[in-house]
Parts: sequence; structure tokens; C-alpha cells
Amino acid sequence: MFIIVVVLFLAGFIAGPIGSRLLGMEPPSFLSIAKPHVVLPSEPIFKVSTFFTVTNTLIASWLSIILLVCLFYFCTRKMRLIPGRLQGFAEVIVELLLNFMKGAAGEKNTRVLFPVVATIFLYVLTNAYLALLPFFGTIGFSEVHGDKHIFIPILRAANTDVNVPLSIAVVAFVFIEYWGLRALGFAHYLNGFFNFGQLRDGFSSLVKGKIRSAISGLMLGFINIFVGALEIFSHFIRIVSFTFRLFGNMTAGEILLVVVCFLVPFIAAIPFYGLELLIGFIQALIFAGLTLVFGTIALTPHAEE
Amino acid sequence: MDAGTMKMLAVGLVAGLGFLGPGLALGLIGFSAMQALGRNPEARGPILTNMILIGALAEAIGIYALIVAIILALVAS
Repeated sequence: MFIIVVVLFLAGFIAGPIGSRLLGMEPPSFLSIAKPHVVLPSEPIFKVSTFFTVTNTLIASWLSIILLVCLFYFCTRKMRLIPGRLQGFAEVIVELLLNFMKGAAGEKNTRVLFPVVATIFLYVLTNAYLALLPFFGTIGFSEVHGDKHIFIPILRAANTDVNVPLSIAVVAFVFIEYWGLRALGFAHYLNGFFNFGQLRDGFSSLVKGKIRSAISGLMLGFINIFVGALEIFSHFIRIVSFTFRLFGNMTAGEILLVVVCFLVPFIAAIPFYGLELLIGFIQALIFAGLTLVFGTIALTPHAEE
Repeated sequence: MDAGTMKMLAVGLVAGLGFLGPGLALGLIGFSAMQALGRNPEARGPILTNMILIGALAEAIGIYALIVAIILALVAS
């Protein structure tokens, strides 16, 4: 068994592009693949109207949504106190997520944060794992653009389109701000950003003639304003960092798999598939975990000085 | 040097130099996590969870450099 694996790997190495380049001979006809041509923007499949085009990553994200909804619909029909197999499976997933969140956020915050964080985790995970199935990225049709034939697959990994991580990041941002506003009240939350109180105290003590407290009040006031502006900026920059973290990891993984399958056709891609499995899980965990952490920060009341 | 050579040079430099920082950062994170684990083996759960969380934050910086390199290599003329 092990000998077959080694023989296949050596055959793929020697007869594939690396070996034929080293030994100076042409690869045999059944192994010659075209050089991989990676296109970063997702390819459109058809246009519904002049404004809305359906791309292959959109179809893949629809597929993952349908898969998740159907799975949990069938798991929660006819629920009993002692669960059957499907309900038990759903309970395992929910319980794992709840334990992870309780460890990071505490009991009370978990109740508030669970729907959004668990949805983000499951959606990103399903998108990432669906992309590893054999029929993703390989079934499609050829189109002619000018004088080149381009292959357009019908299904492509949903996380490799910038729009999908961007949409999830915007949803996470909106929910974090909503939780913060609801927990602390509108004025109090915004007060954390636009903190003019210290500056006002500094000016009032300057007017009253207390120079020392005025100087310290003024300096602290300016520092507070600067820190407030930095806070707002960091809240908005989260959208960019969430998006590009997920997009970069998934696109780099896809390009890596395509290039490895091109270089050594047979066995060498197996460790990289394992790497992709791990990275997909970790990225889903990171996205959901960071939303959890920022939501917890938004929900905890400010420490009174 | 013509434009093609300059582009190859730029791609190589972006990718190579961009991965120095995150590599160092991840090594430091692992180092501190191992130290903490050695001092307090009972706190294995929180230590590992936080290590993976901060590791992904540091990894993201390397991913930004990779994205710039990919865009330069594939999309720029």
C-alpha cells in the first residue's frame, strides 16, 4: 500500500512539469495540463438584469445557505427530550459553540451574542469546506474572449470573492455597534468617542484662574479627544481587517491548491488539503471569535474612575 | 531594466519582506504561550485559545502582504 503511494508520487513528480523540466523531456500527453490561470474577480454566469449579475461564487454561497438551512430544519423537526441522531448532532454543534463562547464572554453576554456569532462561524465554515469538494471549480463551460478560450466554472469557493467576507464584516460591524448602543444608551456610548468633558473642565478652570488644574485639564482634554478619534477609526478599520484576513487566507489557499496540483499531479496535494481544512476551521473560529470579543467589549459598561 | 523585470522584482520584494514581521510576531506569540504553559499547565485551555486568536491577528498582516503581491503579479500590467 505504501509502495503504491510512493510510486505514484514519484511518477507524478518525474512525469509532471517539474520532472520534465529537470530532465528536459516533454510530459506525456495524459499528464499535460495547461498552466493554471488564476482570475481574482469572480466570473459572472448570467445577468438577471442590467444591474444584478449572478457570479459563480454567489451560486456557491446560495448552496451553502441551502445546505445549512436544510440541515438544521431536518434536525429540529419533532424534537424530543432524549434526542435521536440528527437532533443529537445539532445539539453537539450548538453545545460546542456555547462552551466556546462562555469561555470567552461569560454567561450573560453569550445569550445576547450567540445568534450572530454562531451564524458567522457556521456560514464561513460551510463556505470554506464546500470549496474542497471535487466538483467545485471543475464543472463549467468554456467561453471565447477575443481569441482566448477561458474556462468558467459554475461553482467557485464563496470566500474567494471579496464581496462575501465584506458582507459578513459589515454585518458584524453593524451588530457590534447595535449591541454597544443598546447596552450603554445612545448618549453614553457616543460619549466614549467624542469626549469633550475633560476639555471643558480645563477651560472652565482656566477662566476661574486655577492655572495648574487648567493646564492639566487642557492637556488631558486634548489627549481624550485624540483617543476618541482613534477609537472611531479603529472601529471602522475592523471592517477592512476582517474582510482581508478571510479573503486573503481563502484565496491564497485556493491558489496554493491549484499550483500544487499542477506541479506534482498525484499525491503531493494531500498535505495541502489537510492544511486547507485546518485553515478553513481556524479562519471561521477567528472571525466568530473576534466578533465575540469586540461584542463583549461593547457590552461591558465602562469602568467608573 | 524594463517593466516586466521591475514587476518581478517588486513582487518578490513585497512578498519576501512582508513576511518577515508576521513570522517574527508568530514566533514571539508561540514563545510566550509556551512559557505561560510551562508555568501553569492547568490553564491550558485559555492559553491555547488566546494564542490561536492572537496568532490569527498577526497572520492577517502577512496575508495583507500576500494580497499585494498577488495583485501585483496577476493584475498589474
